[in-house]
Amino acid sequence: MSDLISRIASPSEITSAAQRLREAALEKSLPPATLLDVFEKWAAALDGHEVREIPGVTFLRLWLRRGTLEPILTRELGAEWLRGEWRDDGRARLQSFPLGVVGHWPAGNIEIQPILSLTCALLGGNSCLVRVPGGLVEPTRLIMEKLQHVDHDAQLLNRIFLASFDHSRTDAQEAMARAVDGAMIWGGEEAVSQVRALPFPHWARVVVFGPRLSVAAMDSATWGDSQERKAWCLRIARDVWQFDQAACSSPQTLFLERNGASDPAEFVEELKRAFAEENRAHPRQAIEPALTSSICRARASWLLDDLAHHAHFPASADWTILEGAGSQIPEPTQGRTLSVLVTDDLQQAICSFDGTVQTLGLAVKDREREEKLAEAAGRHGVDRVVRLGQMHVFGSPWDGMDLVRPMTRLVRHGRSQE
Amino acid sequence: MNQVAEPQVAQLEQAIAALLEVPPYGMDPAVRHDALLSLLKQGLQYACARNPQFANYLRYWPLPVSEAKSIAELPYLPVSVFKANPPLSLVPSSEIKRTLTSSSTSGQIPSRVVLDAATSRRMTKGVIAIIRDFIGAARRPYLVIDTQENLGRQAELGARGAAIQALGSFATEIVSCLRTDEKGDSALEFDKLRICAEKWKDAPVLVYGFTYVLWTQLIEPLRRRGMTLPMPNVHVLHSGGWKRLEQQAVTKDVFTSEVARVFGCPPERVIDYYGMVENVGVVYPDCERGYKHVPAFADVIIRDPLTLAPVRPGQQGLVQVCSVLPTSFPGFLLLTDDMGEIIGHDGCACGRRGTHFRFLRRVPKVEVRGCGNLETSRARRGAPA
Repeated sequence: MSDLISRIASPSEITSAAQRLREAALEKSLPPATLLDVFEKWAAALDGHEVREIPGVTFLRLWLRRGTLEPILTRELGAEWLRGEWRDDGRARLQSFPLGVVGHWPAGNIEIQPILSLTCALLGGNSCLVRVPGGLVEPTRLIMEKLQHVDHDAQLLNRIFLASFDHSRTDAQEAMARAVDGAMIWGGEEAVSQVRALPFPHWARVVVFGPRLSVAAMDSATWGDSQERKAWCLRIARDVWQFDQAACSSPQTLFLERNGASDPAEFVEELKRAFAEENRAHPRQAIEPALTSSICRARASWLLDDLAHHAHFPASADWTILEGAGSQIPEPTQGRTLSVLVTDDLQQAICSFDGTVQTLGLAVKDREREEKLAEAAGRHGVDRVVRLGQMHVFGSPWDGMDLVRPMTRLVRHGRSQE
Repeated sequence: MNQVAEPQVAQLEQAIAALLEVPPYGMDPAVRHDALLSLLKQGLQYACARNPQFANYLRYWPLPVSEAKSIAELPYLPVSVFKANPPLSLVPSSEIKRTLTSSSTSGQIPSRVVLDAATSRRMTKGVIAIIRDFIGAARRPYLVIDTQENLGRQAELGARGAAIQALGSFATEIVSCLRTDEKGDSALEFDKLRICAEKWKDAPVLVYGFTYVLWTQLIEPLRRRGMTLPMPNVHVLHSGGWKRLEQQAVTKDVFTSEVARVFGCPPERVIDYYGMVENVGVVYPDCERGYKHVPAFADVIIRDPLTLAPVRPGQQGLVQVCSVLPTSFPGFLLLTDDMGEIIGHDGCACGRRGTHFRFLRRVPKVEVRGCGNLETSRARRGAPA
């Protein structure tokens, strides 16, 4: 354990850290320009070989850039806020202020999530108390070391406390919940439910990014285009490989709109090649035996369930393509297992979504058609509609919510004298 | 069902019967491997002819069955596919004599396997051949640490009942020592036990119980009363796993020595065995060295969870069990949810030939269920599988 991440022995360590963080957040504001400067340098520092192999670091670098963050802050908090000014609201004026200390409970399956989560709250001027899941301590430490190199006056580091303790440590979890003014909770149903039940102060704002799944879809004109097929298949493979397909933005199913002129088997052949290629470039280093069991079960169940089902997989658990037809999303397996379903009508498939779909990755030739599909997706619970190959690009809004504004208070000043 | 397969069945039957006749731990490993490879290939072809869904599974296996040069290259099913309902079958329903169900101790859906008369017969022969090698062929009094209900023949039989009944061939008489009281709880019949212990004190005796039943329903109540059952010539067999006892911090050593103390027998006479209903007719008792041995009609492969390739002795991985015995369901080659380690492919100091291994644990559930994991909530809502 490094200095950057504290292994918690007693809950009082969390309580006193929160006290220091609150003072740091409330006694002096951090100008947005300064914050963005440090983030920009941090993004540049994340090019080192020590961190390059951490899954998602590419997305993190993109996220930390001024060019990404300024438009988000302008949209969420206003251009005046970026300049440190109040904005007029009739006869009054408005300004966003930090909540104080924001607690972060990131999911244990996304290496960069502790950092993504804390940056959202820092952007709102808050201090951050972060529980780093056991499996993410090392990647988080490596990324934070890069911040240490660029944050010379510890302007940001003074506002961050990273804590490591087992998820079953109720005393530590409760101390953390009691000490915060806001919370950002990420993860699966079980984890999210447990954290939500913690004793937060009644004023705390709690934002939950719960379990979701994501889906890809291609219209007949796009997947039927043999010239473009390879490029699209490589994009799909990249979206599947990232985070070992365990992120809420990972595609679990690909819908192919039926095309009388083209054979889906040809497309699947190209997809197989893309998967094999991606696997060569990014082979798995380790796997949970339980995931291996799930993958083997998914392959067998798929082929035993229906004679019309096909499947393609190597002798290893590296990747799996389950091929069939229909418009219902099969139970996700993860572990680079993609269901490819030929469907008569993409619109119909999208209209059967039930609110569990977070991101729809699209490849549609016709712009008007795509707009209609996006409209249908929005009506059926989808929060992000993006180009295939960009499903994991982190941005605001996420899960249909702003990322910075929820951890701020909008203060209204009605002047005492006209 | 496809009639074309029928001529193969007779050949297959003969070959399996021949393997069941040889001493289970006496074959040269290379000879045994080649014999099994040929039989398993025939078994897979037979299963394909009888079950189109199974044929569909094999169609997409990365290596065609005909090209497989080792058992490890043959297509295997994950054991969890037997949780499907109706159970996977290779025989018409009219030929099904029994359905075996797993214990599913963790509240999960139990596995179900169907047995026809031939598979049922082979199951009994397989278990007898294995157990005989450990306790001898003689019949003897059989004390069952369970209730009478698990002794009767039933069309659908749980893992406990199946294990109890499989040992019935060694019995001159069978006594069960648990009864179900008015609250539905099982209670130990102390008087019955006392009489048995007195009557059988110098005789060879067979005792069987599920590991946690043996501990919680026999050993603990006897300890509380300060009572022992001196039967020094007893063999105590138990199976069913250690999960519940591990939760009570009861180690295998503690269990064995305490059971041996209660019966007044050497600890070597307390034998733990590994088995599962899907692997019909095959059980893996611990030898004197503490290892589990593979009989002539079966094999065990340990696979690397990452590559699914067989690992070398000493490396841990997922346990795959292989058997030529079942022909009523496709249970020839099954990847289990257990972790194990091959000790060697021959030369165990106990004198038994062939592969010997160690069972390590059930595959641990993944602790981290990330933001992309919807399995629980979707399944609860009845989402399509």
